[in-house]
Amino acid sequence: MNVVGILVLMLFIGGMIVYATIGRRWPAVFRPLPAYDDLGAAIEEAVEAGERVHVSLGTGSVIGTDVAPALIGLTIASKIAEITSVSDRPVVVTAGDAAMALLAQDTLRTTYNSINASEAYSPNSGRMLGPTPFSYIANLPVLIDTEKVSVHVLAGSFGYEGALAVDFGTRLGAFCLAGTDDVQSQALIYATAEDPLVGEELFAAGAYFNQHPVHRAGLRVQDLMRMIIIGAILAGTILRGLGAF
Amino acid sequence: MKLGAHLVWAVVAGAAGLFVLLGYFIDYEIIVAMRLVLMRWAVLIAAWALMLGIVNILYVHFIKVQDMEPGWPYSIVLMLALIATVIFGFLFRPDSEIMVMVFNYIHLPIETSLMALLPITLAVAGFRLVIQKRDWASMAFAGAAFFVLLGTVQWPFFSDDMFENLSGLREWLVQVLASGGARGILLGVALGAIVTGLRVLLAVDRPYGD
Repeated sequence: MNVVGILVLMLFIGGMIVYATIGRRWPAVFRPLPAYDDLGAAIEEAVEAGERVHVSLGTGSVIGTDVAPALIGLTIASKIAEITSVSDRPVVVTAGDAAMALLAQDTLRTTYNSINASEAYSPNSGRMLGPTPFSYIANLPVLIDTEKVSVHVLAGSFGYEGALAVDFGTRLGAFCLAGTDDVQSQALIYATAEDPLVGEELFAAGAYFNQHPVHRAGLRVQDLMRMIIIGAILAGTILRGLGAF
Repeated sequence: MKLGAHLVWAVVAGAAGLFVLLGYFIDYEIIVAMRLVLMRWAVLIAAWALMLGIVNILYVHFIKVQDMEPGWPYSIVLMLALIATVIFGFLFRPDSEIMVMVFNYIHLPIETSLMALLPITLAVAGFRLVIQKRDWASMAFAGAAFFVLLGTVQWPFFSDDMFENLSGLREWLVQVLASGGARGILLGVALGAIVTGLRVLLAVDRPYGD
């Protein structure tokens, strides 16, 4: 039995519960993230102009280890669906994985039902574009162009093809916000995207969009765990330097 | 009634996730076996989801053609190619010579040509980054990329000493600065991914709907 693993897991869950409980009395103050502020403004402009917002969940699989960023993509899609439900052109969500496209459909349907805007939902709002990374990317320019997409959000797992996905949006004049889990792809996205999300910034989306108290609590737990890890690394370095082990 | 369904999905998702997660930490035979069974089910469901995904692709493009939306001829090409590939696959089996030819002479070159776009895209993006975003981070990014490129290959106008120095600078940039930064970023990503997964397990995030 991996006792340390279970203890760390309990620390995460316990921290989330504690921070969610005390969060109302002692709310967290987060540093400003210009990317999310710019996204809000871009979505407002898109709704007013009757243009569409596109959320890409990337090319990762639901059953793969790279599912986490796409789950955040679904959170972002849900919030954007709420905002754009009054638009002539509601948000469209695409994925490279079929199961992820189904989750996107479920998320959109649930969101529209919860705000009594079920007429805004269409099964075509959640789509699979292509089963392989490059077939997915090859379909993006056509989608961005023909669906009049002016806000292009990439929140999912991408390989090197992520840079192309961003660039197609930039070339067609869309506002591009992009974040992924892969470090090398983050570097490529940094070079190509108007508003790149680096590191854990993508995972902070729920907290910044004020989605649920547990999202904000989760972000505080991440900070707490980061401090513990940094402390452990520093202690280990000093002890090693002193020849303790 | 709706609340009941909502609870059932949440309990099923949470319990399945918990068993898979515990299977990594606890070595009890039942939990490990449950984890394996659940993961096999997930693979099977994903395979069926792929079928639905293909139907979704056909449906979306069929509607496009029917409504003659902009770009509808491309949709016809896509549907014909998809149907032809499926028919060939059923008639000749996926590992037949014809299917290998379809993959090697159509699919692979198209994907490779897209891949070939990547260096050009990145070069253009690099120039755009320097011109449009004139902040210190963008300059550091572009500068590091420049020195790494210079130190990667032997340029004809460089002496051996000069190349060795640049190569050393490249190594330092990659091994010390980039490696340290990447580890920090990975740490943040890992913590974010854990919290995201736990939110699904605790049914705070319900991507499977209500």
